[in-house]
Amino acid sequence: MSVKPDVIRKCLWPACLVGLFITGILSLDCNFLNIHLSRVTWQNLRLLSVMSNSFSIECLRENKAFELPEEILSHTQPVKNDIKEAFYEASIQAFNIFSQYTFRSAWEEKHLKQIQIGLGQQLQYLEQCLEEEEKENEDMKEMEEEGTKHSATMVPRLSHLELRRYFNRIDNFLKEKKYSHCAWEIVRVEIRRCFYLLLKSIALLRRK
Amino acid sequence: MYNCLFLVAFIEGTNLKSPQNVEVYIVDDSCILKWSGSDEFVSNVTFSVDYQIPEIDDWIKLPGCQYVTSTQCDFSSLQLNVYDEVKLRVRAEKGNDTSPWYEVDSFIPFQKAQIGPPEVHLEAEDRAVILNISPPGTQDSVMWAMDSSSFTYSLVIWKNSSSGEKRTETVYPRDKIYKLSPETTYCLKVRARLRVQRKVGLYSPVSCINTTVENKLPPPENIQIDSNNWNYIIKWDYKYENMTFQAQWLYGYLKKFPGKHEDKWKQLPDCENVKTTQCVFPRSTFSRGIYFVRVQASNGNNTSLWSEEKRFDTEIQTIILPPLINLKSVNGSLRVYIGAPKESENKSVDQPYRLTYEINFWENTSDTQSKILQKKTDFTFLNLKPLTVYCVKARALILEEKWNKSSDFSDTVCEKTKPGNTSRTLLIAGICIALLILAAVVYVVRVLWRCINYVFFPSSKPPSAVDEYFSEHLLKNLLLSTSAEQIERCFVIENTNTVSAAEETNHAGEDYKKYGSQTSQDSGNYSNEDENSGSGLSEEVLLQGAV
Repeated sequence: MSVKPDVIRKCLWPACLVGLFITGILSLDCNFLNIHLSRVTWQNLRLLSVMSNSFSIECLRENKAFELPEEILSHTQPVKNDIKEAFYEASIQAFNIFSQYTFRSAWEEKHLKQIQIGLGQQLQYLEQCLEEEEKENEDMKEMEEEGTKHSATMVPRLSHLELRRYFNRIDNFLKEKKYSHCAWEIVRVEIRRCFYLLLKSIALLRRK
Repeated sequence: MYNCLFLVAFIEGTNLKSPQNVEVYIVDDSCILKWSGSDEFVSNVTFSVDYQIPEIDDWIKLPGCQYVTSTQCDFSSLQLNVYDEVKLRVRAEKGNDTSPWYEVDSFIPFQKAQIGPPEVHLEAEDRAVILNISPPGTQDSVMWAMDSSSFTYSLVIWKNSSSGEKRTETVYPRDKIYKLSPETTYCLKVRARLRVQRKVGLYSPVSCINTTVENKLPPPENIQIDSNNWNYIIKWDYKYENMTFQAQWLYGYLKKFPGKHEDKWKQLPDCENVKTTQCVFPRSTFSRGIYFVRVQASNGNNTSLWSEEKRFDTEIQTIILPPLINLKSVNGSLRVYIGAPKESENKSVDQPYRLTYEINFWENTSDTQSKILQKKTDFTFLNLKPLTVYCVKARALILEEKWNKSSDFSDTVCEKTKPGNTSRTLLIAGICIALLILAAVVYVVRVLWRCINYVFFPSSKPPSAVDEYFSEHLLKNLLLSTSAEQIERCFVIENTNTVSAAEETNHAGEDYKKYGSQTSQDSGNYSNEDENSGSGLSEEVLLQGAV
């Protein structure tokens, strides 16, 4: 029993240092862009709501469960970068999807332009952000072991694959329904939901 | 035993080994399974490949790869979902013999896929090269179906001469490489990259191009974009005089798409044929977003090439408007209210950034200003001199890392402080006076009350001296002789009274009061008739009283 406190004390110091080190890494945020990024992303979210005149009830019949991978949103994910990359991936896919939009009215055209501009901005900021973090990570490369780094990168790729499959389902759904109005409505709502959940996770992670 | 022997013979018969070194190679859409045959160079060996996908439990024969003699198999035509797991197995066959199946670990084609080389088309200018990069794979690629706009490209360019210093840049699918020398051969190669998947593609084959002869008119240089409260201002440099310029803009997001967007550039209406090296256009021209701007010069006969495309982000160019200040003097302090800036048009001034306010504060007569940084919009300056004019002006700041933006100063607002201290003394004085008045009133009321009491409700108690005298004399009267009585008869007037008083007092103490009044009356009467005796009497009374 008397050994334990000593052991704990011995382990506590390095653990604290490691903890500080890790939080140091995680807090290496692209702060400058973040204020713009959060503003733009919430704007886009609002745009996604406003885009539609009305969601007709008949479209509900065509609703499909796209099964958004909830694991990437769980707060147990230790690496902050992971969710940011997931958000980047989601943004790219949303951008690609909306590029296929064929609008039928001037009102729709205006909103489509806005969402494309907005998503383009979001992507720009995210890219710059991730590039900055990459440069900083490269500096830290010597401190990390090769083995642990590889194992760390294996995990995010799998979760991003889940996200890909999710967007693939959305894409296939649109093709199946031949890009009908109802199909677009459902997809719009789904993407909005996805963004919202990702943003919430990011906000919660930031608070930690 | 017979069975065992037979079994051994049977096993030995199948001496075909399964294929070795089985690998999956996927580059873009081409999916190839490669293997090597068994060690012995045996002829007439064929191979077959089966595959399995998650929904179906059975192995399916791969068409085109059954009993083939080659040691590889292309399964690109399978129409697999590239994001789903796939299992493959291969075996060797010779006549009726088959080797055991070699099962490849299940894999996801997308994960295994390698990004192939992109296609590059080049167009030369005098000091720049125009790029046109097509994404890896074909246009209807299955592997990169969701990624056509996701690729980021990096380019390596060098002069073909011996010194060949290499320059690496990140480029868009349609982009330009600037800062080149005219009439030089440049060589470059490009590769695509998927950031999130950590995939780096193969380099395209090297392509070389000669830059053209220098153009008569150089393009405008050094484009700067500034903004003020109402407009954006584009400024540029140009070597020659007497030129007219025009500017064009493009939606930023269009750069992400491969293919031509030369026709997507739009004219900036306020910048057509301007004579100066700057052009001003209202903020309302652009809604929020990222845009590209380019400028061209012309002198009637010739036009220059387009300048470098300058990226322009409305978010970064935001202008913070100066705040409105409201001052209120409260006793010895000054309360400051910082309000939202006035809206010039009817558009809502959306400023969700956290603003810090820098407040300059000084006495109107002095020159020294003190500065305070505050986030609150409502606070007070305390401990100021009374009856002094103080002035305040403020500006809003955004203090985020790497981004400092400040608004202009607001108008100066001045206000005089109230006489705080003197009012306090007045208050104290007032209270004191009030207390004094109260005391005086109480005193007057007491006096009045006593008067009233005295007039309307007099007390029937005799004076204390008389009281004493009476009480002593009672005993003496009872004990003394007639001579005393006679003497006392001198006091007859008094004595009879006292005897009657004594008698009376024996009865009741209550009549005492009554008697007291009689006595005084009598004494009063007698004193009038017999002045001497009265006075003598009074002396005696006094003497007796003293005893």
